[in-house]
Amino acid sequence: MVDALVEVHRVLAPGGILVDARPDSRVPAYAERRKPRGFQRYGVVNTSRLELANDRASDRAISLVVREGLFKRTRGGRFWHRVPFSDLAELRKYLWEHLRFVHRAEWVVGVATRKHHANDQFVIRRAVRYELLEALPSRI
Amino acid sequence: MSSVANDSVGDLGRHVPALSSALRPHPLDELREWGGSPLVRGKRVLDLGCGDGRLALGVARFATRVEGIDPDPAAVAAAKRNARKAGVRNVRFAAGAAQHLPYPDAAFDLVILSWTL
Repeated sequence: MVDALVEVHRVLAPGGILVDARPDSRVPAYAERRKPRGFQRYGVVNTSRLELANDRASDRAISLVVREGLFKRTRGGRFWHRVPFSDLAELRKYLWEHLRFVHRAEWVVGVATRKHHANDQFVIRRAVRYELLEALPSRI
Repeated sequence: MSSVANDSVGDLGRHVPALSSALRPHPLDELREWGGSPLVRGKRVLDLGCGDGRLALGVARFATRVEGIDPDPAAVAAAKRNARKAGVRNVRFAAGAAQHLPYPDAAFDLVILSWTL
């Protein structure tokens, strides 16, 4: 990762901007049912342990190149993104097959409620973080 | 703030992360969060880990030129197809590794690592 960031610094003009955007595993994702107006939270979806480790490695790589004086942090933030599913079964299948999240949501509604609305549309709402970094002139 | 697509995910992207555009925010929504079109306007842009070109093609209308690079040749082929389909002319895609970028020094004003690092 650090190698790639050093290479990014090489191809960026001084003062150029690097955008690093990725899912924010520091906050949980949510399984939500789409209602006529808005969404209802049905469960919490945690990030898998492997992905948490990957995200921490990415954070460390960014911190290192900032510390080494290749980049300067200029701005960052977070926004929410919803991944849509046609019904609850599709959401469950996605969780089971996708590597980013743990395979089962922690439901906050009862079985009866889930069954009653199983054919409704669902989403996974997850946070995306981003950071803008300015390329500093090389000191070499 | 958040974006909600109307189409569900289907099978796309479950097994092939590079082709998982359906799982990602719309490129213009993402760009708006980062600061909007001024971030890209008139710039030479590199989309590193471009996958099927979702973001590269999304921001191409604002940029002078966009290069997309991805280690997955299948994803790059998909990106080229998508570019042809969209009629976007200022975007080029290539297969390659982030550790050895085939571009000269200071070739870009903006590098995007979207869901890549």
